[in-house]
Amino acid sequence: MATVTLTLNGDVRTASVPPETTLLRLLREEFGLTGSKLGCDVGDCGACTVIVDGKSVNSCLMLAVQADGRDVVTIEGLATMSRLHPLQQLFEDKGSLQCGFCGPGVIMSAKALLDENPDPSEQEIRDALAGNLCRCTGYSKMIEAIQAVARDGRGEPAKSAV
Amino acid sequence: MDRHDTEDKKSAVVERKTPGDALGEMLRAPAAAPLVPTPLETLVPEARQQTPAVRQRATRPDARLHGLGQTKYIDDMYFPGMLYAKIKRAGIASARVLRVDTSEAEKMPGVIAVVTGRDVPCNSFGPSLKDQPVLAGERVFHAGDGVAAVAAVTEQIAAEALEKITVEYEPLTPVLDPLVSLGLETPGVHAPSPNIYGHKVIKKGDVEKGFAASHRIFEASYRTQMVEHVPLEPHCSIAMWDANGRVTIYTTLGRITLGRADLARTLAVPMSRIRIIATVVGGNFGGKNEITTEPVVALLAKKTGRPVKCTYTRPEEFISSTTRHPIVMDYKTGVTKEGRILARTIRLVLEGGAYCSWSETTLAKACILSPGPYDIENIHAEAFVVYTNKTMTGAMRGFGAPQVCFAYESHMDDIAKALDIDPLEIRLRNALREGSLSPTGQQLQSVVVRDTLLQAAQRFGWSGDGAAS
Amino acid sequence: MKRRGRGIACMWYPIGFTVSANPSAAVVKVNEDGTATLLTGTVETGQGSLTILAQIVAEELGIATDDVHVVSADTDTTPMDTGAIASRTTYVTGNAARLAAEKAKKILFEVAAPLLGVKPEHLEVGDHKIRIKGFPQRSLHIGDVAERARGVNGDPPIGSASFNPATAALDAETGQGKPFATYVYATQIAEVEVDDETGEVEVLRIAASHDCGTPINPMLVEGQVEGGISMGVGFALEEEILFDATGRQINPNLTNYIMPTSLDMPKVEVDIVDSYDPTGPFGAKGVGEPTCVPTAAAILNAIHDAVGVRVTSLPATAEKVYAALKAKRAQEGKRLGAGA
Repeated sequence: MATVTLTLNGDVRTASVPPETTLLRLLREEFGLTGSKLGCDVGDCGACTVIVDGKSVNSCLMLAVQADGRDVVTIEGLATMSRLHPLQQLFEDKGSLQCGFCGPGVIMSAKALLDENPDPSEQEIRDALAGNLCRCTGYSKMIEAIQAVARDGRGEPAKSAV
Repeated sequence: MDRHDTEDKKSAVVERKTPGDALGEMLRAPAAAPLVPTPLETLVPEARQQTPAVRQRATRPDARLHGLGQTKYIDDMYFPGMLYAKIKRAGIASARVLRVDTSEAEKMPGVIAVVTGRDVPCNSFGPSLKDQPVLAGERVFHAGDGVAAVAAVTEQIAAEALEKITVEYEPLTPVLDPLVSLGLETPGVHAPSPNIYGHKVIKKGDVEKGFAASHRIFEASYRTQMVEHVPLEPHCSIAMWDANGRVTIYTTLGRITLGRADLARTLAVPMSRIRIIATVVGGNFGGKNEITTEPVVALLAKKTGRPVKCTYTRPEEFISSTTRHPIVMDYKTGVTKEGRILARTIRLVLEGGAYCSWSETTLAKACILSPGPYDIENIHAEAFVVYTNKTMTGAMRGFGAPQVCFAYESHMDDIAKALDIDPLEIRLRNALREGSLSPTGQQLQSVVVRDTLLQAAQRFGWSGDGAAS
Repeated sequence: MKRRGRGIACMWYPIGFTVSANPSAAVVKVNEDGTATLLTGTVETGQGSLTILAQIVAEELGIATDDVHVVSADTDTTPMDTGAIASRTTYVTGNAARLAAEKAKKILFEVAAPLLGVKPEHLEVGDHKIRIKGFPQRSLHIGDVAERARGVNGDPPIGSASFNPATAALDAETGQGKPFATYVYATQIAEVEVDDETGEVEVLRIAASHDCGTPINPMLVEGQVEGGISMGVGFALEEEILFDATGRQINPNLTNYIMPTSLDMPKVEVDIVDSYDPTGPFGAKGVGEPTCVPTAAAILNAIHDAVGVRVTSLPATAEKVYAALKAKRAQEGKRLGAGA
């Protein structure tokens, strides 16, 4: 068993897991954070995307032990008790998600983009989402929502990322 | 029910099986799920509160949960004592099953039960033809067939147990091409049943007369490929029985009424003792319209007395779910000098793969729609669907329509070019109108194909300046 | 060199099963405060069908979408439904839901009529009220009527109904008959750029004009069209399950089975044409499947327009387009040679 200590959505958390455990399984099975999804388990679909030290990563490809000592933000870390993250609000308003299974991963990729580049071009948005497969939406309304968040200057880092 | 609610009970159950080992350690690890924030004061988008309600751009109540990561898909559900199932795939397209030896798998620590086709009370189902087994019986009909299933305390152990199952096959020559399958001398995939398991004809008017009156006659052939639905969420189900012999099944199935009938049949259990709850489905597109893992988990749950969950791996999504029918399409069209279609004959050969599934309705829709949205007096369309030893085809968004549309619209452009008519113009000249008779002689209403042509042309900025730009 | 081309394709598509009965049933319960619950056996598989059904029930009862809660997808608690298939939910389940709401509304009208001093047939709903046709100021709040229906009249406003599309069997010899109750129509126009040195195709733009009868929720209709087009782009250019000589799949994974990403999707412009089907709920038909029907045809016609090659088998991969270009050049070369 390996001990992993990480900052998860702003809180320091520790778990003891078999060394082959992925970050995705650590989040879902040890911490009960089921927002990150398992769609392929080999890094092709992006449904498991989380942000580690400011970069979006496929959590199914990262071992839990590799997250030791690092800062991890998941979809559960975006909203506060009283307010949706602007991406969550705009994704809702614009009907950006359909079945929603890819949604948390897409929103995390978008957040990583906006944290680094608050005013991305459409092409930069498309580039940032290239690792997140969606079968329902054709990506159009996701891109619209991300553009709207950027336009409103609301792509500021969520406070939970501290 | 969430994993963190039930961790203690789960550990207690597992302990009996694997005391003190690494696995037990892992499963006894303390639960540490934090509260998921629930926004209380957020804007409620106005469209949802308006009357009249119709034509409003109302947001979806599930959209908020999706965006928060709070939607409970089936993979996010856990029940106390739950086991994980995996299915052994044949990996051979056509074979006789001589022997399935599960004894080594059963001996593995952490493996609780194994089932094979012999354990299925009624090992056949299907929406029209009942030609699909739950798990292979004496024959394998395509490489994605399941031959045995294991329930174990972890997915990892279940997967390892599959490797310990040995199956002895007598390989048979597979039929892999729909046109070969069509041949009379080709051995039947499901002998003694013929390979052609569906046939449809639409006859309207007199095509010979139409061709005779035509200025020119065009012929072309088209072919489409097999594609997969690729829902982002894999197929999954969880079954559990109560002490009264009632089974509850959570599933990603898009059609629970039919699903319950299929389960009643395959499990030989009255419908009143089956409850199916479809969870929020992470993408369907026609691919989640019949049972897959449901009877398997039900049998394993019955055998073990514990809830059992089975989730397809991504490769299983490809090899063991349904796919889109590849179609070979031959068109012959007679037209006037002005591009009016006078007669059209069509022959379609649909590849059904190993089982019928939703082929019957795909065959009918493809055949009926194959002349296109055009007012044609003389039509002869004929369609066949044949078995092959490949992945089964089934319901998929459009039921044969994207295939035939590719054919009739490619054909239309070639005719337009040859007659030097603008592609938009030739379509407007032939399009169905209010009250037109369809290929099956049905008088059509609310027909707006011309409106869509003109509106799309306006949006695109299509100028009718000849075929090529 | 990169060459641009445009291609058009139109289509028609039916709602519901071919001839076979495919009914849906529904139950609508109006609560004592005028909100409502719909019970349906259909399953939300991503399209937003439960939202559409809530809008239909709300419209029939004169309340808002937010006032309707939908309970679905449980064989123990919800009535039968043929399911999320064949683009049938808005039309078939929608009709069942509307009829169930109408029956509940009828109970409310019976209760409200004597209070307003008119016959039930002179009443209508709107803006959370039951009111006299032509005299909207004479009205009662639907919640007050629902509470009275339960507490005074002892007749709780609950309605149940089923609906099955009207079809007629096809003649076995000629296939003549009425296989479907209604059809939708659409046109898509694609603009592509083809690299004539590599055969690579980029879809730049798609204009999509779709009929769905009355769009119950235009935003969700747009979502269906955009998503269907992405499936059509994959069908046209990328996706194919490949088999080895023994019949086993070669590419059963998302690494080697290529489906559209955000980089492959063109700009999509959606128009919803005016249309009304009197047999649909508030004139609605459906939209799910047809959105992916004309896309591949439009793209392949655009490729032909751009570089003059007709690819007759899908998908039109770069390899296939390149091979067709090479064959075309060889033939043109031969023709030139013969001419000289």
